[in-house]
Amino acid sequence: MTNRKRWSAAFIAGVIGVMYAASLSAMVVVPAEFSEMVTASELVVHGRVVEIRPQIVGDRRTIETVVTLTVLDAIKGQPGTTVYFRVPGGQIGRYRRFMVGAPEFAAGDEVVLFLKGRPPAVPFPFGLSQGVYRVVRDGDGRSLVTPPVVSEAAGRVVRGDVSRRPLELSAFTRNVRAIAERQP
Amino acid sequence: MRRALTLLVMIVSLTAQPAQAYLHLTSSTGSKQTPLTWNQARVRWFATDRGVAGVTAAQFQTAVAAGFATWEAVPTASVAFQFVGFTSAVPFDDDGISTFGFDAQPDLDRVLGATSFVVDTLTGEIVESDVFFNSIFTWSTAAAGDASRFDLQSVATHEIGHFVGLGHSAIGETEIRPDGGRRVIASGAVMFPISLGRGITADRTLQPDDIAGVSDLYPDGDFDDTTGAISGRVVRNGTGVIGAHVIAFNPKTGVIIGGFSIGEGGTFQIAGLTPGAHVIRVEPLDDADIDSFFSPSGIDVDFQVTLFPRLIVAPEGGASDRFDVSVRPK
Repeated sequence: MTNRKRWSAAFIAGVIGVMYAASLSAMVVVPAEFSEMVTASELVVHGRVVEIRPQIVGDRRTIETVVTLTVLDAIKGQPGTTVYFRVPGGQIGRYRRFMVGAPEFAAGDEVVLFLKGRPPAVPFPFGLSQGVYRVVRDGDGRSLVTPPVVSEAAGRVVRGDVSRRPLELSAFTRNVRAIAERQP
Repeated sequence: MRRALTLLVMIVSLTAQPAQAYLHLTSSTGSKQTPLTWNQARVRWFATDRGVAGVTAAQFQTAVAAGFATWEAVPTASVAFQFVGFTSAVPFDDDGISTFGFDAQPDLDRVLGATSFVVDTLTGEIVESDVFFNSIFTWSTAAAGDASRFDLQSVATHEIGHFVGLGHSAIGETEIRPDGGRRVIASGAVMFPISLGRGITADRTLQPDDIAGVSDLYPDGDFDDTTGAISGRVVRNGTGVIGAHVIAFNPKTGVIIGGFSIGEGGTFQIAGLTPGAHVIRVEPLDDADIDSFFSPSGIDVDFQVTLFPRLIVAPEGGASDRFDVSVRPK
Protein backbone atom coordinates (compact mmCIF):
# COMPACT_ATOMS: atom_id res chain seq x y z
CA MET A 1 0.00 0.00 0.00
CA THR A 2 1.45 3.39 -0.90
CA ASN A 3 1.81 6.13 1.71
CA ARG A 4 -0.94 8.09 0.03
CA LYS A 5 -3.34 5.18 0.07
CA ARG A 6 -2.47 4.49 3.67
CA TRP A 7 -3.30 8.06 4.50
CA SER A 8 -6.58 8.02 2.67
CA ALA A 9 -7.57 4.85 4.42
CA ALA A 10 -6.46 6.22 7.77
CA PHE A 11 -8.38 9.43 7.27
CA ILE A 12 -11.54 7.57 6.45
CA ALA A 13 -11.05 5.37 9.47
CA GLY A 14 -11.00 8.54 11.55
CA VAL A 15 -14.20 9.76 9.99
CA ILE A 16 -16.07 6.59 10.79
CA GLY A 17 -14.95 6.67 14.36
CA VAL A 18 -11.96 4.36 14.44
CA MET A 19 -9.40 6.91 15.54
CA TYR A 20 -6.55 7.31 13.10
CA ALA A 21 -3.09 8.27 14.20
CA ALA A 22 -0.53 10.83 13.16
CA SER A 23 2.63 12.46 14.40
CA LEU A 24 5.59 14.71 13.79
CA SER A 25 8.75 16.44 15.08
CA ALA A 26 11.63 18.81 13.80
CA MET A 27 13.79 19.28 10.66
CA VAL A 28 14.62 15.82 9.43
CA VAL A 29 15.15 14.13 12.71
CA VAL A 30 15.60 10.81 14.33
CA PRO A 31 13.16 11.09 17.24
CA ALA A 32 13.98 10.10 20.80
CA GLU A 33 11.67 8.67 23.37
CA PHE A 34 11.11 10.75 26.47
CA SER A 35 13.09 8.51 28.84
CA GLU A 36 15.94 8.39 26.35
CA MET A 37 15.99 12.18 26.29
CA VAL A 38 16.06 12.37 30.09
CA THR A 39 18.91 9.90 30.24
CA ALA A 40 20.95 11.55 27.51
CA SER A 41 20.60 15.09 28.84
CA GLU A 42 23.24 16.31 31.26
CA LEU A 43 20.91 18.98 32.61
CA VAL A 44 17.15 19.27 32.88
CA VAL A 45 16.05 22.62 34.26
CA HIS A 46 12.89 24.59 34.77
CA GLY A 47 13.62 28.26 34.36
CA ARG A 48 12.86 31.62 32.90
CA VAL A 49 14.70 33.23 30.00
CA VAL A 50 16.27 36.48 31.07
CA GLU A 51 18.60 37.36 28.21
CA ILE A 52 19.04 36.64 24.52
CA ARG A 53 22.49 37.35 23.14
CA PRO A 54 23.08 36.77 19.41
CA GLN A 55 26.73 36.50 18.47
CA ILE A 56 28.95 35.68 15.54
CA VAL A 57 30.72 32.46 16.22
CA GLY A 58 34.44 31.99 15.63
CA ASP A 59 35.83 31.11 12.27
CA ARG A 60 32.45 29.98 11.02
CA ARG A 61 31.16 33.53 10.79
CA THR A 62 27.75 32.24 11.61
CA ILE A 63 25.18 33.68 13.98
CA GLU A 64 24.02 31.76 16.98
CA THR A 65 22.31 32.92 20.15
CA VAL A 66 23.35 32.36 23.72
CA VAL A 67 20.32 32.28 25.96
CA THR A 68 20.53 32.99 29.68
CA LEU A 69 18.10 31.17 31.89
CA THR A 70 17.42 31.82 35.56
CA VAL A 71 16.97 28.40 37.13
CA LEU A 72 13.75 27.98 39.07
CA ASP A 73 14.22 24.26 39.62
CA ALA A 74 17.14 21.97 38.82
CA ILE A 75 15.40 18.75 37.84
CA LYS A 76 18.49 16.84 36.75
CA GLY A 77 22.10 17.86 37.26
CA GLN A 78 23.53 20.72 39.29
CA PRO A 79 23.42 23.83 37.19
CA GLY A 80 23.59 26.59 39.81
CA THR A 81 21.29 29.58 39.63
CA THR A 82 21.92 30.47 36.00
CA VAL A 83 22.25 28.35 32.88
CA TYR A 84 23.56 29.38 29.50
CA PHE A 85 22.65 27.45 26.39
CA ARG A 86 22.82 28.13 22.70
CA VAL A 87 20.57 27.79 19.74
CA PRO A 88 21.29 28.33 16.05
CA GLY A 89 20.45 31.69 14.55
CA GLY A 90 19.78 35.16 15.82
CA GLN A 91 19.79 38.71 14.56
CA ILE A 92 22.76 41.02 14.34
CA GLY A 93 22.10 44.40 12.84
CA ARG A 94 19.74 44.11 9.90
CA TYR A 95 20.54 40.46 9.22
CA ARG A 96 18.70 37.60 10.81
CA ARG A 97 19.77 33.98 10.55
CA PHE A 98 17.34 31.26 11.45
CA MET A 99 17.33 27.51 11.17
CA VAL A 100 14.05 25.96 10.14
CA GLY A 101 12.63 23.94 13.01
CA ALA A 102 15.01 25.26 15.65
CA PRO A 103 13.48 26.83 18.75
CA GLU A 104 13.57 30.56 19.36
CA PHE A 105 13.33 32.21 22.73
CA ALA A 106 12.36 35.57 24.14
CA ALA A 107 13.02 37.14 27.51
CA GLY A 108 10.32 36.07 29.93
CA ASP A 109 9.74 32.64 28.37
CA GLU A 110 9.20 29.98 31.02
CA VAL A 111 10.52 26.61 29.93
CA VAL A 112 11.69 23.19 30.92
CA LEU A 113 14.85 22.44 28.97
CA PHE A 114 16.70 19.23 28.33
CA LEU A 115 20.29 20.26 27.68
CA LYS A 116 23.07 18.23 26.18
CA GLY A 117 26.75 19.07 26.29
CA ARG A 118 29.31 19.02 29.05
CA PRO A 119 31.15 22.11 30.25
CA PRO A 120 33.08 24.03 29.10
CA ALA A 121 30.96 23.66 25.96
CA VAL A 122 27.79 25.72 26.02
CA PRO A 123 25.01 23.14 25.63
CA PHE A 124 22.28 22.88 23.00
CA PRO A 125 18.74 21.75 23.79
CA PHE A 126 18.53 17.99 23.20
CA GLY A 127 17.61 17.42 19.56
CA LEU A 128 17.02 21.19 19.36
CA SER A 129 13.23 21.41 19.49
CA GLN A 130 12.77 17.96 21.05
CA GLY A 131 14.32 19.16 24.28
CA VAL A 132 12.14 22.24 24.68
CA TYR A 133 8.97 22.22 26.75
CA ARG A 134 7.01 25.41 27.35
CA VAL A 135 5.33 26.23 30.65
CA VAL A 136 1.97 27.95 30.32
CA ARG A 137 -0.80 28.87 32.74
CA ASP A 138 -4.31 27.56 32.32
CA GLY A 139 -7.48 29.40 33.24
CA ASP A 140 -7.14 28.27 36.84
CA GLY A 141 -3.58 29.52 37.10
CA ARG A 142 -2.04 26.05 37.05
CA SER A 143 1.37 25.66 35.41
CA LEU A 144 1.13 23.23 32.53
CA VAL A 145 3.90 21.83 30.36
CA THR A 146 3.50 21.58 26.59
CA PRO A 147 3.74 19.67 24.39
CA PRO A 148 2.24 16.68 26.19
CA VAL A 149 4.56 13.74 26.73
CA VAL A 150 4.01 10.89 24.30
CA SER A 151 3.54 7.56 26.06
CA GLU A 152 6.27 4.99 25.52
CA ALA A 153 3.79 2.13 25.39
CA ALA A 154 4.18 0.20 22.15
CA GLY A 155 1.66 1.01 19.46
CA ARG A 156 0.44 3.81 17.26
CA VAL A 157 0.78 7.35 18.52
CA VAL A 158 -2.75 8.61 18.06
CA ARG A 159 -2.96 12.33 17.53
CA GLY A 160 -5.72 13.85 19.63
CA ASP A 161 -5.69 10.97 22.13
CA VAL A 162 -7.87 12.38 24.90
CA SER A 163 -5.63 10.88 27.55
CA ARG A 164 -2.62 12.84 26.29
CA ARG A 165 -2.88 16.24 27.89
CA PRO A 166 -0.39 18.85 29.03
CA LEU A 167 0.95 17.76 32.41
CA GLU A 168 1.02 19.96 35.45
CA LEU A 169 4.56 21.15 36.01
CA SER A 170 4.84 19.29 39.31
CA ALA A 171 3.83 15.99 37.71
CA PHE A 172 6.16 16.57 34.78
CA THR A 173 9.16 17.18 37.02
CA ARG A 174 8.33 14.17 39.17
CA ASN A 175 8.26 12.07 36.05
CA VAL A 176 11.65 13.35 34.90
CA ARG A 177 13.22 12.82 38.32
CA ALA A 178 11.87 9.29 38.50
CA ILE A 179 13.41 8.43 35.15
CA ALA A 180 16.70 10.11 36.06
CA GLU A 181 16.91 8.19 39.34
CA ARG A 182 16.56 4.90 37.49
CA GLN A 183 19.48 5.88 35.29
CA PRO A 184 22.51 3.66 35.90
CA MET B 1 -11.48 0.99 0.23
CA ARG B 2 -14.48 1.73 -2.02
CA ARG B 3 -16.85 0.65 0.73
CA ALA B 4 -15.11 2.93 3.22
CA LEU B 5 -15.39 5.83 0.79
CA THR B 6 -19.09 5.19 0.36
CA LEU B 7 -19.54 5.21 4.11
CA LEU B 8 -17.65 8.43 4.34
CA VAL B 9 -19.75 10.14 1.72
CA MET B 10 -22.95 8.95 3.34
CA ILE B 11 -21.96 10.35 6.69
CA VAL B 12 -20.66 13.69 5.59
CA SER B 13 -23.44 14.34 3.10
CA LEU B 14 -25.80 14.82 6.00
CA THR B 15 -24.08 18.01 6.87
CA ALA B 16 -20.82 19.37 5.37
CA GLN B 17 -17.38 21.37 5.54
CA PRO B 18 -13.37 22.06 5.46
CA ALA B 19 -9.54 22.33 6.65
CA GLN B 20 -5.90 23.57 5.82
CA ALA B 21 -2.32 22.22 4.87
CA TYR B 22 1.41 22.95 4.36
CA LEU B 23 3.20 25.71 6.19
CA HIS B 24 4.98 28.66 4.60
CA LEU B 25 8.04 30.22 6.13
CA THR B 26 7.72 33.96 6.58
CA SER B 27 9.96 36.95 6.94
CA SER B 28 9.01 40.12 8.70
CA THR B 29 9.83 43.67 7.74
CA GLY B 30 8.62 45.92 10.48
CA SER B 31 5.27 44.57 11.54
CA LYS B 32 4.53 43.02 8.15
CA GLN B 33 4.84 39.26 7.66
CA THR B 34 5.33 37.96 4.15
CA PRO B 35 6.02 34.50 2.76
CA LEU B 36 9.72 33.83 2.39
CA THR B 37 10.41 33.33 -1.30
CA TRP B 38 13.24 33.76 -3.77
CA ASN B 39 12.84 36.46 -6.36
CA GLN B 40 15.59 35.33 -8.76
CA ALA B 41 14.74 33.62 -12.03
CA ARG B 42 17.22 30.89 -11.13
CA VAL B 43 18.31 30.40 -7.56
CA ARG B 44 22.05 29.72 -7.43
CA TRP B 45 23.53 27.08 -5.16
CA PHE B 46 26.96 25.64 -4.40
CA ALA B 47 28.06 22.25 -3.12
CA THR B 48 30.91 21.70 -0.72
CA ASP B 49 33.90 19.99 -2.24
CA ARG B 50 34.14 17.32 0.45
CA GLY B 51 32.49 13.94 0.55
CA VAL B 52 32.13 11.48 3.38
CA ALA B 53 32.59 7.73 3.65
CA GLY B 54 30.41 6.20 0.97
CA VAL B 55 29.53 9.46 -0.77
CA THR B 56 31.97 11.47 -2.86
CA ALA B 57 31.55 15.19 -3.43
CA ALA B 58 30.40 14.46 -6.98
CA GLN B 59 27.82 11.92 -5.79
CA PHE B 60 26.64 14.40 -3.20
CA GLN B 61 26.16 17.09 -5.84
CA THR B 62 24.29 14.68 -8.10
CA ALA B 63 21.90 13.64 -5.32
CA VAL B 64 21.17 17.22 -4.31
CA ALA B 65 20.69 18.23 -7.92
CA ALA B 66 18.15 15.42 -8.27
CA GLY B 67 16.31 16.85 -5.29
CA PHE B 68 16.27 20.27 -6.92
CA ALA B 69 15.04 18.76 -10.17
CA THR B 70 12.12 17.17 -8.33
CA TRP B 71 10.86 20.51 -7.08
CA GLU B 72 11.62 22.20 -10.39
CA ALA B 73 9.52 19.62 -12.20
CA VAL B 74 6.29 20.52 -10.43
CA PRO B 75 4.17 21.65 -13.38
CA THR B 76 2.07 24.10 -11.41
CA ALA B 77 5.02 25.91 -9.83
CA SER B 78 7.58 28.23 -11.30
CA VAL B 79 10.86 27.95 -9.47
CA ALA B 80 14.24 27.12 -10.96
CA PHE B 81 17.73 26.49 -9.69
CA GLN B 82 21.29 26.62 -10.95
CA PHE B 83 24.25 24.68 -9.65
CA VAL B 84 27.17 27.10 -9.74
CA GLY B 85 30.03 24.90 -8.64
CA PHE B 86 31.93 23.30 -5.81
CA THR B 87 33.20 25.41 -2.95
CA SER B 88 35.48 25.04 0.03
CA ALA B 89 32.93 26.96 2.07
CA VAL B 90 30.81 25.05 4.56
CA PRO B 91 27.12 25.40 5.29
CA PHE B 92 26.13 28.06 7.81
CA ASP B 93 29.03 30.35 6.99
CA ASP B 94 27.55 33.78 6.53
CA ASP B 95 29.25 34.39 3.21
CA GLY B 96 26.43 35.41 0.89
CA ILE B 97 26.31 32.15 -1.06
CA SER B 98 23.89 29.28 -0.63
CA THR B 99 25.89 26.20 0.22
CA PHE B 100 24.85 22.56 0.50
CA GLY B 101 27.26 20.22 2.16
CA PHE B 102 28.22 17.71 4.77
CA ASP B 103 29.23 18.96 8.16
CA ALA B 104 29.84 17.15 11.43
CA GLN B 105 27.49 18.47 14.08
CA PRO B 106 27.75 16.08 17.04
CA ASP B 107 25.76 18.48 19.20
CA LEU B 108 22.83 17.92 16.86
CA ASP B 109 22.95 14.17 17.10
CA ARG B 110 19.23 13.74 16.34
CA VAL B 111 19.30 15.97 13.29
CA LEU B 112 20.06 14.47 9.89
CA GLY B 113 19.93 17.75 8.06
CA ALA B 114 18.75 21.30 8.46
CA THR B 115 18.24 24.45 6.47
CA SER B 116 19.08 27.94 7.58
CA PHE B 117 18.41 31.33 6.06
CA VAL B 118 19.98 34.73 6.36
CA VAL B 119 17.35 37.37 5.74
CA ASP B 120 17.73 41.11 5.38
CA THR B 121 15.13 42.37 7.82
CA LEU B 122 14.91 45.77 6.14
CA THR B 123 13.93 44.41 2.74
CA GLY B 124 12.68 40.92 3.62
CA GLU B 125 14.97 39.45 0.97
CA ILE B 126 16.83 36.19 1.37
CA VAL B 127 20.57 36.83 1.44
CA GLU B 128 21.50 33.15 1.43
CA SER B 129 20.25 29.77 2.52
CA ASP B 130 22.50 26.92 3.56
CA VAL B 131 21.71 23.27 4.05
CA PHE B 132 23.85 20.91 6.07
CA PHE B 133 23.79 17.13 6.17
CA ASN B 134 25.10 15.78 9.41
CA SER B 135 28.15 13.65 8.70
CA ILE B 136 27.94 11.92 12.07
CA PHE B 137 25.37 9.73 10.29
CA THR B 138 26.12 7.37 7.43
CA TRP B 139 24.74 8.30 4.01
CA SER B 140 23.97 6.61 0.73
CA THR B 141 23.30 7.66 -2.83
CA ALA B 142 22.51 4.14 -4.03
CA ALA B 143 19.67 4.11 -6.53
CA ALA B 144 17.59 1.70 -4.48
CA GLY B 145 18.84 2.92 -1.11
CA ASP B 146 21.06 1.17 1.38
CA ALA B 147 19.39 -0.45 4.37
CA SER B 148 22.17 0.63 6.70
CA ARG B 149 22.39 4.26 5.61
CA PHE B 150 20.16 7.32 5.24
CA ASP B 151 19.18 8.21 1.72
CA LEU B 152 20.81 11.50 0.81
CA GLN B 153 18.42 12.42 -1.99
CA SER B 154 15.39 11.94 0.26
CA VAL B 155 16.73 14.21 2.97
CA ALA B 156 17.90 16.70 0.33
CA THR B 157 14.41 16.82 -1.18
CA HIS B 158 12.99 17.63 2.27
CA GLU B 159 15.57 20.35 2.91
CA ILE B 160 15.08 21.86 -0.52
CA GLY B 161 11.41 22.15 0.40
CA HIS B 162 12.55 24.43 3.21
CA PHE B 163 14.97 26.15 0.84
CA VAL B 164 12.04 27.19 -1.38
CA GLY B 165 10.08 28.46 1.62
CA LEU B 166 8.05 25.62 3.04
CA GLY B 167 7.85 24.76 6.71
CA HIS B 168 6.94 21.39 8.11
CA SER B 169 3.87 19.37 7.36
CA ALA B 170 2.05 17.47 10.09
CA ILE B 171 0.65 14.84 7.75
CA GLY B 172 2.23 11.71 9.09
CA GLU B 173 1.84 8.93 11.54
CA THR B 174 4.24 7.30 14.00
CA GLU B 175 4.33 4.42 16.39
CA ILE B 176 6.33 3.28 19.37
CA ARG B 177 8.00 0.00 18.51
CA PRO B 178 7.71 -2.92 20.90
CA ASP B 179 11.49 -2.94 21.26
CA GLY B 180 11.55 0.80 21.92
CA GLY B 181 12.03 3.81 19.69
CA ARG B 182 9.62 5.82 17.62
CA ARG B 183 9.29 5.36 13.91
CA VAL B 184 7.21 6.72 11.09
CA ILE B 185 4.46 4.39 9.87
CA ALA B 186 3.49 6.56 6.94
CA SER B 187 3.65 10.17 5.90
CA GLY B 188 1.65 12.24 3.48
CA ALA B 189 4.31 14.82 2.75
CA VAL B 190 8.03 15.00 2.11
CA MET B 191 7.91 17.96 4.50
CA PHE B 192 6.91 15.72 7.41
CA PRO B 193 9.82 16.31 9.78
CA ILE B 194 10.65 12.82 11.01
CA SER B 195 12.93 10.63 8.95
CA LEU B 196 11.39 7.51 7.46
CA GLY B 197 14.52 5.65 8.46
CA ARG B 198 17.61 4.14 6.92
CA GLY B 199 17.38 2.72 3.44
CA ILE B 200 14.01 4.26 2.61
CA THR B 201 13.86 6.39 -0.52
CA ALA B 202 10.17 7.33 -0.52
CA ASP B 203 10.88 10.98 0.21
CA ARG B 204 12.50 11.42 -3.17
CA THR B 205 8.95 11.81 -4.49
CA LEU B 206 6.75 14.79 -3.69
CA GLN B 207 3.22 14.29 -2.44
CA PRO B 208 0.13 16.44 -3.04
CA ASP B 209 0.66 18.47 0.13
CA ASP B 210 4.19 19.38 -0.99
CA ILE B 211 3.03 20.19 -4.51
CA ALA B 212 0.21 22.41 -3.28
CA GLY B 213 2.62 24.18 -0.96
CA VAL B 214 5.25 25.04 -3.55
CA SER B 215 2.63 25.89 -6.16
CA ASP B 216 0.96 28.31 -3.78
CA LEU B 217 4.31 30.03 -3.23
CA TYR B 218 5.39 30.12 -6.88
CA PRO B 219 2.18 29.70 -8.90
CA ASP B 220 2.68 28.96 -12.55
CA GLY B 221 0.31 29.12 -15.48
CA ASP B 222 -3.29 28.69 -14.50
CA PHE B 223 -2.66 27.20 -11.06
CA ASP B 224 -4.66 29.87 -9.27
CA ASP B 225 -7.49 29.65 -11.77
CA THR B 226 -7.81 25.90 -11.76
CA THR B 227 -7.49 25.16 -8.07
CA GLY B 228 -9.54 26.24 -5.11
CA ALA B 229 -9.06 27.25 -1.51
CA ILE B 230 -10.91 26.86 1.71
CA SER B 231 -10.73 29.26 4.57
CA GLY B 232 -12.11 29.27 8.04
CA ARG B 233 -11.42 29.53 11.70
CA VAL B 234 -10.96 27.09 14.55
CA VAL B 235 -12.73 28.17 17.72
CA ARG B 236 -13.31 26.91 21.22
CA ASN B 237 -16.11 28.55 23.17
CA GLY B 238 -16.07 31.32 20.60
CA THR B 239 -12.36 32.06 20.99
CA GLY B 240 -9.85 31.35 18.24
CA VAL B 241 -7.63 28.28 18.62
CA ILE B 242 -4.04 28.91 17.52
CA GLY B 243 -1.96 26.12 16.04
CA ALA B 244 -4.61 23.54 15.23
CA HIS B 245 -3.77 21.20 12.38
CA VAL B 246 -6.48 21.40 9.74
CA ILE B 247 -6.75 18.69 7.12
CA ALA B 248 -8.71 18.82 3.88
CA PHE B 249 -9.52 15.44 2.43
CA ASN B 250 -10.95 15.15 -1.06
CA PRO B 251 -12.95 11.90 -1.10
CA LYS B 252 -13.07 11.91 -4.89
CA THR B 253 -9.30 11.99 -5.40
CA GLY B 254 -8.13 10.65 -2.05
CA VAL B 255 -5.79 13.62 -1.73
CA ILE B 256 -5.02 15.06 1.71
CA ILE B 257 -3.66 18.54 2.14
CA GLY B 258 -3.18 20.17 5.50
CA GLY B 259 -2.53 23.49 7.16
CA PHE B 260 -2.63 25.27 10.47
CA SER B 261 -4.88 27.77 12.20
CA ILE B 262 -2.13 30.29 12.73
CA GLY B 263 -3.87 33.36 11.34
CA GLU B 264 -5.29 36.04 13.54
CA GLY B 265 -7.98 34.65 15.82
CA GLY B 266 -7.32 31.05 14.76
CA THR B 267 -7.97 31.54 11.06
CA PHE B 268 -6.61 29.32 8.31
CA GLN B 269 -6.57 29.10 4.55
CA ILE B 270 -5.59 26.13 2.42
CA ALA B 271 -4.99 26.83 -1.23
CA GLY B 272 -4.11 24.56 -4.13
CA LEU B 273 -7.01 22.17 -3.67
CA THR B 274 -8.66 20.27 -6.46
CA PRO B 275 -12.03 22.01 -6.89
CA GLY B 276 -14.78 20.09 -5.20
CA ALA B 277 -16.03 18.89 -1.87
CA HIS B 278 -13.67 18.28 1.03
CA VAL B 279 -13.97 16.71 4.42
CA ILE B 280 -12.41 18.85 7.11
CA ARG B 281 -10.72 17.43 10.15
CA VAL B 282 -9.15 19.51 12.93
CA GLU B 283 -6.68 18.01 15.36
CA PRO B 284 -4.26 19.17 18.05
CA LEU B 285 -0.49 18.96 17.57
CA ASP B 286 -0.28 17.03 20.80
CA ASP B 287 2.26 14.49 19.59
CA ALA B 288 4.79 16.88 18.11
CA ASP B 289 7.67 19.16 18.92
CA ILE B 290 5.67 22.32 18.48
CA ASP B 291 8.79 24.45 18.24
CA SER B 292 9.72 22.66 15.04
CA PHE B 293 6.59 24.01 13.35
CA PHE B 294 6.16 27.56 14.52
CA SER B 295 6.90 30.03 17.24
CA PRO B 296 4.80 28.52 19.98
CA SER B 297 3.21 31.53 21.63
CA GLY B 298 -0.39 30.70 22.47
CA ILE B 299 -0.48 27.32 20.73
CA ASP B 300 -3.38 25.19 21.98
CA VAL B 301 -3.05 21.40 21.92
CA ASP B 302 -5.65 20.52 24.53
CA PHE B 303 -8.74 19.90 22.46
CA GLN B 304 -10.42 16.95 20.81
CA VAL B 305 -10.13 15.87 17.21
CA THR B 306 -13.10 17.33 15.37
CA LEU B 307 -14.69 16.62 12.03
CA PHE B 308 -16.56 19.50 10.53
CA PRO B 309 -20.13 18.28 10.11
CA ARG B 310 -20.52 19.37 6.50
CA LEU B 311 -18.50 19.03 3.33
CA ILE B 312 -16.74 22.20 2.26
CA VAL B 313 -16.47 22.97 -1.42
CA ALA B 314 -13.27 24.52 -2.74
CA PRO B 315 -14.52 26.50 -5.75
CA GLU B 316 -12.43 26.58 -8.91
CA GLY B 317 -10.40 29.77 -8.98
CA GLY B 318 -11.72 30.98 -5.66
CA ALA B 319 -12.06 30.35 -1.96
CA SER B 320 -14.88 28.92 0.10
CA ASP B 321 -16.95 31.08 2.33
CA ARG B 322 -15.31 31.27 5.71
CA PHE B 323 -16.60 28.78 8.24
CA ASP B 324 -15.93 28.10 11.90
CA VAL B 325 -14.89 24.70 13.22
CA SER B 326 -15.85 24.44 16.84
CA VAL B 327 -13.66 22.18 18.97
CA ARG B 328 -14.17 20.87 22.49
CA PRO B 329 -11.60 20.53 25.24
CA LYS B 330 -10.29 17.06 25.99
